[in-house]
Amino acid sequence: MSLTLFLSQVVPVRQKLYRFAYRLLENEEDAMDVTQDALMKVWQQQERMADLQNMEAWCMRIVRNLALDKLKARKYRRAEELDKAGDMPAQHQPSPYAAAEQQDVMNSVHRIIAALPEKYRTIIQLRDIDGYSYQEIAEILCVEMSEVKINLHRARKTVREQLQKLQVYGV
Amino acid sequence: MEFNKVRELLDRYWDGTSTLEEEEALRSFFSRNIANLPADLKEAQPLFGYFAAEHDIPMPVFPDIEIVVSQTQTPAGPVKQMIWQHWMKYAAMLLVAVGIGYASRQAQTKQTRIMASLSEKDTYDDPEKAFAVTQKALQLLSRNLNKGTAQMQKLAYFNEATEKIKAN
Repeated sequence: MSLTLFLSQVVPVRQKLYRFAYRLLENEEDAMDVTQDALMKVWQQQERMADLQNMEAWCMRIVRNLALDKLKARKYRRAEELDKAGDMPAQHQPSPYAAAEQQDVMNSVHRIIAALPEKYRTIIQLRDIDGYSYQEIAEILCVEMSEVKINLHRARKTVREQLQKLQVYGV
Repeated sequence: MEFNKVRELLDRYWDGTSTLEEEEALRSFFSRNIANLPADLKEAQPLFGYFAAEHDIPMPVFPDIEIVVSQTQTPAGPVKQMIWQHWMKYAAMLLVAVGIGYASRQAQTKQTRIMASLSEKDTYDDPEKAFAVTQKALQLLSRNLNKGTAQMQKLAYFNEATEKIKAN
């Protein structure tokens, strides 16, 4: 694979790779490292590129493996609380109270998603945040498409139950 | 979009049977922050809000990948490089072999020289003393030889006796 091909096909998905790594690691620096490492790995294995049907899925798989390795190595613990109050655009909020309330809701949803088992969480993120098809998710996770559908259904069911609890009881 | 249509899409979404287009329609609907949402639709609003927020994670400034990649050598022709990359290993092996060969050769030469010098060296400096010692040694040899010959004489008697018996 030539450098031009690499730059035109792999580099444009870098942001998606970064987002995926960031969601797994919850750390900007580590996500950046994993993204760069994944790109280097792709470049080093360029002879395999010709056999690939979906390069983006392959890149995502590499990112996932590297991120999981990093998590294992550093014994990461996913933070229960999401400290990103500063990320919310304050100008879109009608009042500080509404902004705080909105942030609370976001934190609660984040907790619900974070509490899911890793395979459910990853599937829901790949589908609902990144917009991948079932086939692509199956390729990224190296599983059957039927498994993706089942797990997505279960993940959404769990999330819905938790959201209902949140709405009714506020927990 | 009508609420009923949204309900229908949401049902499909929760069942896990919605298409990507339908999910996009839901995302776009919930992004509008409609104030008077029915309670059943409100349940999904924070989730889609979360998805939208997560999609907009701020991007860091990535290093120029062209520079990074160009600094990394392409894996083309790795076999050729391998041979030349390990030249020091082979050179070291050759050096060790030459060293061992040279050392053993030196040791052998030294040994030969010592042996030669030892064989050439006289035991005594005084010729008379040397003559006396040699004479003494030869006498000892002669004495022991005579002892052996005396024993052999006895054997000769036996032989003579055997022959006489055979003749009779």
